Amino acid sequence: MSRISKSFGPVEVLADVNLDLYPGEVHILAGENGAGKSTLMKILGGVHTDYSGKIKIEGKETDFKSVQDATEAGVSIIHQELSLIGSLNVAENIFLGKEKSSYQWLDKSHMVEYSKGILKNFGLDIDPKRAVDEFPIGIQQMIEIAKALAFNAKIIVMDEPTSALTEPEVKKLFKIIDQLKEQGCSIVYITHKMEEIYSIADRITVLRDGEYIGTETAGNLPCEKLIQWMVGRELSQQFPRHTPHIGNVRLQANNIFVPAASTNPAPRVGNVSFSVKAGEILSIAGLQGSGNSELLNGIFGTYGKDTKGSVEIDGEKYKIDSPSKSIQRGLALLTNDRKSNGLVMDLSIIKNSTLACLPCYSRCFWLRPADERKAAKETTESLKLKAESLNQEVDSLSGGNQQKVVMAKWMQTNPKVLLLDEPTRGVDIGAKHEIYELMNQWTKDGIAIVLITSEMPELLAMSDRIMVMHRGKVTAQFSREEATQEKVLSAALGKRKPA
Amino acid sequence: MKKFTKILAVVILLVIVLSQGCAKKSDSDTNQVKWTIGMSQCNLGEPWRVQMNADIKNAANEYEDIKVVFKDAQNDTLKQRSQMEEFISAGVDLIIISPKEAVPLTPVVAQAYQKGIPIIVLDRRVLGDKYTCFIGADNKKIGKATGKWIVEQLGGKGKIVELKGLMTSTPGQDRHSGFREGIKGSGIEIIFEADMKWLEPNARKEMESALARFETIDMVYAHNDPGAHGAYLAALAAGREKDIKFVGIDALPQEGQAYVAQGILAASFEYPTGGKEAIETALEILSGQNVEKEITLDSRCFTK
Amino acid sequence: MTSPTIRALGALIIVFVIGLIFNADGAFLKWGTHRDMLRAVSVYGLLACGMTLVIITGGIDLSVGSILGISAVSFSLFCIHFSWPFYIAIIACLLIGLACGAASGLIISRFNIQPFIATLAMMVFARGLAKWMSGGQKISTAVQQADGTYKYVPVPDVFNFINSKILWNNISVVTIIFLICLLVSAVLLIKLRPGRYIYAIGGNEEAARLSGVPVNAVKILTYAMSGLFCAVAGICQASQELQGDPEAGFTYELSAIAMVVIGGTSLRGGRGGIWLTLLGVLTIGYLEKILSINAVGEDKRLMLTGAIIVAAVLLQKTKK
Repeated sequence: MSRISKSFGPVEVLADVNLDLYPGEVHILAGENGAGKSTLMKILGGVHTDYSGKIKIEGKETDFKSVQDATEAGVSIIHQELSLIGSLNVAENIFLGKEKSSYQWLDKSHMVEYSKGILKNFGLDIDPKRAVDEFPIGIQQMIEIAKALAFNAKIIVMDEPTSALTEPEVKKLFKIIDQLKEQGCSIVYITHKMEEIYSIADRITVLRDGEYIGTETAGNLPCEKLIQWMVGRELSQQFPRHTPHIGNVRLQANNIFVPAASTNPAPRVGNVSFSVKAGEILSIAGLQGSGNSELLNGIFGTYGKDTKGSVEIDGEKYKIDSPSKSIQRGLALLTNDRKSNGLVMDLSIIKNSTLACLPCYSRCFWLRPADERKAAKETTESLKLKAESLNQEVDSLSGGNQQKVVMAKWMQTNPKVLLLDEPTRGVDIGAKHEIYELMNQWTKDGIAIVLITSEMPELLAMSDRIMVMHRGKVTAQFSREEATQEKVLSAALGKRKPA
Repeated sequence: MKKFTKILAVVILLVIVLSQGCAKKSDSDTNQVKWTIGMSQCNLGEPWRVQMNADIKNAANEYEDIKVVFKDAQNDTLKQRSQMEEFISAGVDLIIISPKEAVPLTPVVAQAYQKGIPIIVLDRRVLGDKYTCFIGADNKKIGKATGKWIVEQLGGKGKIVELKGLMTSTPGQDRHSGFREGIKGSGIEIIFEADMKWLEPNARKEMESALARFETIDMVYAHNDPGAHGAYLAALAAGREKDIKFVGIDALPQEGQAYVAQGILAASFEYPTGGKEAIETALEILSGQNVEKEITLDSRCFTK
Repeated sequence: MTSPTIRALGALIIVFVIGLIFNADGAFLKWGTHRDMLRAVSVYGLLACGMTLVIITGGIDLSVGSILGISAVSFSLFCIHFSWPFYIAIIACLLIGLACGAASGLIISRFNIQPFIATLAMMVFARGLAKWMSGGQKISTAVQQADGTYKYVPVPDVFNFINSKILWNNISVVTIIFLICLLVSAVLLIKLRPGRYIYAIGGNEEAARLSGVPVNAVKILTYAMSGLFCAVAGICQASQELQGDPEAGFTYELSAIAMVVIGGTSLRGGRGGIWLTLLGVLTIGYLEKILSINAVGEDKRLMLTGAIIVAAVLLQKTKK
């Protein structure tokens, strides 16, 4: 791809970008959110057909007019947002658009067999006849990957493929990437995770603000230089964590029990108790299905009165009831899926940020937009949120900025305890850094934080204490000093820590 | 536990509703009832048919030895057919039916007739001749009478607005064609016509349009009284009600006849329900007399 | 770059221009025609007010026509047959409408039944209730006495007032009532806290719930408001017909939904507004009036209306 440029109306998102791929290489495309990586890949994949510049595949100049064209040329894209249709089953999804049929009559048994084979290659022993939305999001992401690789693609683009995967699943994926390399495929891999970049990259291309910064082999581009290319500034410490003065217990959760969901007979959280002090960050580590996310949701009241157990905030005990009651008590929950239950996409930044404490801005039901705007301005400035206007819809913001809007919403409720479920998912490195600083500030202000993160370096660096869960129960607890990657991972896999 | 209570509530509700329905049927009478008459009404949703049933009931109450069982098919042809079959298997002495449609109900009417149950067809026809007697008014005749009355009232010349009932229904078509026949050859001019589908609010809207377009309107002929009333209200709102006369059809006591008495309508032509005549004819049949195959009801013209 | 308001305005302007062209011997140019169109469309407009609120939450209310029917029958019963003072009759009717709407809202929010089903059930139930209350007949000024004859009572003053015109005969009272209710809805949606919650619930109900929004209470309020506006509509309808017809409002829900959708409020929820609905109401109102003054035959009317509705919605499509 040479001298690719694209604009959306007056906004130029790509300017003279170059990218070349050799067969059998893994080429990392790096850059902050909004750098233009996804747009570039969408051009390659035939989604955007209006651009300037040239694309040559195997020496031949091509001009894709549609996604079909791109797919036929051997380009396959695994999107960041899942493109599966939940209500259809796995086989139907894999064959979507390429259904095998004779004279329009679907050859269902063949499609199911083929799908089963593909899924097995990924170590997924699942029934292709079940509907996609019956599976948890980690499995769905694996299905998405399987779908993209099912039909002999030669150029494969993976856009944040591991954001919902657990460690063992990521390892499986890397094995498959090795296989694809041997077969001569080229892989473009977009990720924010440093350790992934350096474990699989052959070459790295960096974009910044739509501009092409440079391409280098992984060996010649050490971490600090990469970050500098991406950010344009020196980021000395990736994980700045200063532990402030730790105070009294703010959150005490006792015997939390979250009953089983419909897909699995075992209870999601069985009899877990823990406490968090003011100024402290407690991380709850765990792999897919460990129940850590369900634990936080249960305490917050997402499942209403179905969650059993008691919660004490600053010494006051109360029964778990509903999210609004929890908010009144001083709890705040930042969910792990902002698009589906964290933000109202149609509403503006201001309206989203005041949603959790609207009564503060509306005495006697009458709204005061001026007050809302003022509060939103203050909060978003303190979070370093960059946006054209506070009235724009959150749908148009980048992932990092969207996450900041959610944080602004919770900050306005003046929480005593902050529950953060994957706060840096889908967030670029610069914004991540800012979020870590924010977490430091919050603990300095005396807030107790409970953190869930699936990025090991983040987990080890930001936690004061780590509690590991496996299948709904606590298997180990570590202090900051004694925790290592291996210890945490083995506890997450089920090995109990010896007393 | 929650699901169980919900299901229990629904079951209890069902039982209550069903028992109400059944309770009505077991209306047992102690006096000696000689004759049981089954009345199959196609649609009690229409007030005119409510009146028909009321007329039948009032006429039957005069006679101690007949009892009428009413069934309402709620405008569903298949329901009416199965209700007829219920009458047949219950062995009623006579059936009066006002069928929803001719073709699907002809067979079951014939079935009753052939089993020896006398059957009076009321207001709407069935095909063929396998029934004892048809009683009904003739919409074409009524339309023609209306036309002739209007010609007379206006001295042979005038500007008329015609507000039509649902023109896909036979009454609408007949009242329209009959009317046109009635004014044929005269100087009556139809300056505006619209389909108001028997509904008063629609008639009012259409009349407003007519009033906006035409300076002079002599008379409004609406296919039913509600339509005439709606037109009147439109004229009233425009301050032109004194210049225009309104004529409707149906003449139900609390509607058309009331409007005439109040001076709203100049005239209303009765579309008789035939309920009373049905009972009288039924008694004649049950006492062994022969009756005419076709009884056409007269239509009175109600004026002040 | 067009906003929904501009698109809705565009549709209205097109219809208006069609009216100017096909002005039926100048009838379209008279103020009386416009005033009458507003009168006729006001009842539907009232239904559309409540429907807008409901649709923005992502729901639907199929019972609006039936609640109108109950209210029309009740108002006539209370005023004509029971001779209650008009303010008590009005309050009673409004309470009935509120109760029906709140019942729908309760079923939808507490028992988690889909709005389509719940309001469909209410539509059928309320229609039956209206017929039962009225004995299947229209409640009119001809009151049946015990001996079977009819006594004619005078039309209550309140009926005449609502049915009349004010401001030197230039605007109908029902139009004013419609505009007042429109304003009330606008204030609710734009200026009051529950209005913000309505948009949030329609945009992403789960996100709203997890942000502490009282979802159930807001939903009940929304459907109750819809019921309230339907009751107002029923009072207006009865006053204009000088009677309470149990069949009143039959199939009106379709018109109400069409007006909201043509105005540009999305059926998916979370977007739209009351002023858009006003534009939709006027567009459909003018369309019907133009067809009426031109005495277009019924068959052509239906085809044209259908075609224009599709055209208006196509005009709405955003390029997202």
